[in-house]
Amino acid sequence: MLKLKNVKSCFTPNSIQEAVDILKKSDGKAVIVGGGLDITVFPNPTIEQLIFLNKLGLTYIREDDENIKIGATSTITDVAKAPVMQNYLKGKVKIALTELASELLRNQITMGGSIARHHFYSDILPALYALRAKIMVSGGEFVEEFFIDDFYRNDLKVLMESCIVVGVHLNKYDDSFQFGSKRFVRNATDIALLNMAILAQIEEDIIKDISISVGSRPGPAYRFEQGEAFLRGKKLTKVLAEDFGLFTKSNVDVAKDMHLSREYRQHIAGIYTKEILLDFIGGVG
Amino acid sequence: MKVRYSINGKKKEFEIEAGEVLLDVLRRNGYFEVKGNCYMGTCGTCTVLIDGLPYTSCTMLAAKVDGSEITTIKGIGTLQNPHPLQKAFVEKGAVQCGFCTPGTILVAYALLKSNPDPTDDDIKKMLDGNLCRCTGYVQQIEAIKLAAKMLKKGDG
Ligand SMILES: Cc1cc2nc3c(=O)[nH]c(=O)nc-3n(C[C@H](O)[C@H](O)[C@H](O)COP(=O)(O)OP(=O)(O)OC[C@H]3O[C@@H](n4cnc5c(N)ncnc54)[C@H](O)[C@@H]3O)c2cc1C
Ligand code: FES
Ligand code: FES
Repeated sequence: MLKLKNVKSCFTPNSIQEAVDILKKSDGKAVIVGGGLDITVFPNPTIEQLIFLNKLGLTYIREDDENIKIGATSTITDVAKAPVMQNYLKGKVKIALTELASELLRNQITMGGSIARHHFYSDILPALYALRAKIMVSGGEFVEEFFIDDFYRNDLKVLMESCIVVGVHLNKYDDSFQFGSKRFVRNATDIALLNMAILAQIEEDIIKDISISVGSRPGPAYRFEQGEAFLRGKKLTKVLAEDFGLFTKSNVDVAKDMHLSREYRQHIAGIYTKEILLDFIGGVG
Repeated sequence: MKVRYSINGKKKEFEIEAGEVLLDVLRRNGYFEVKGNCYMGTCGTCTVLIDGLPYTSCTMLAAKVDGSEITTIKGIGTLQNPHPLQKAFVEKGAVQCGFCTPGTILVAYALLKSNPDPTDDDIKKMLDGNLCRCTGYVQQIEAIKLAAKMLKKGDG
């Protein structure tokens, strides 16, 4: 079964500039290949050229004083196994990554391929939203850094006709920050029905800073800013966790689809935010 | 276009279509031990090892992995000299129709390479992407634990 019937040529450019030039000249007929999962599972008959990034040196996980820097062709497995992720936010981001999809798919899914489209079915995007990731995009002669929220305000189709995602940077958060995420899914290779992630800075029990994200609602991931405003500045207690669960249930923006009603998604969202907050105070149950 | 692989230790060169997936290239060239089923990355029957890691070959563009080492089920053991995993799958009754078995064993092989002493949970998690309609998974888990023991004893 020839999946990509109209593909005539493959390119493995030696530089980002070369990759971008091929992309620009292709008149929309070339596609950048990350892991190639979307490209092979949802074949687009208009595609005639494949651009592989294998030679661009974009498979890396590095750190400096402020950031963990992840190259676009790094897979979920690469990131989850990187030594720097073992203790990053108490290993919670690593756990979130190793819980999505199956090992077989995690070996193939790349960060760039997950970021370049705002897919509702990506579980990586809710985590990146909560972590306030910075997306690095290159047009060859320049590299531009986008805060994740701003990145997804772009018309991605237009942006990605002349640019490629080259990496993602994650802030190194100090010990006052905690991360937690939850995912509702029926089996490993099914699309998650809901996922939520929270990053919170808690000092002397007060929630100083917080980001909350919702994914698979169904719709692309987004920041739950109403929820953030509800929690910011409050003392984190079990009662607050309970109250916030109820607040989430009433205010989170989720929709129904053939898999799940809106009410059920809201209910689970409320349970998830409550449980993540309880986990932050070490008082589950 | 041409691609070169090392398949089960033997150097091979194939003429492929630019948009072909690895599963099709392998089967067209006689590697029928690699099974195709969903073609969507959901069942795991088409699993092969690429440079030692398991992947679904139905979602892997053949041109992307030009130059790689590919291992199919026949690369880890033969009828005459089966790998402990292959022996254990037979011994524990973990094979019924056998359609999922090449993929499942290759994923288990990769697991035991990186984690020689897996817990039931490690095994279940690793088998997340390999569907089996027949066995109910219990015998597969038993077989993988038995193989782990055999490998530790240097048996096989
Ligand atoms: C059966 C199945 C189950 C899955 N389950 C999950 C799951 O549970 N959770 C989850 O998060 N994901 C899951 N995924 C993966 C996810 O849905 C996407 O398939 C994956 O994120 C795509 O990554 P990729 O690297 O393969 O991208 P590709 O398919 O290579 O590319 C995706 C898109 O991004 C573009 N692109 C790729 N890299 C770049 C780049 N560097 N710069 C610019 N554009 C680029 C491509 O041109 C293409 O348009 C699953 C996939 C399958 C097939
Ligand atoms: S045939 Fe490849 S995963 Fe099902
Ligand atoms: S033995 Fe029949 S599908 Fe697994």
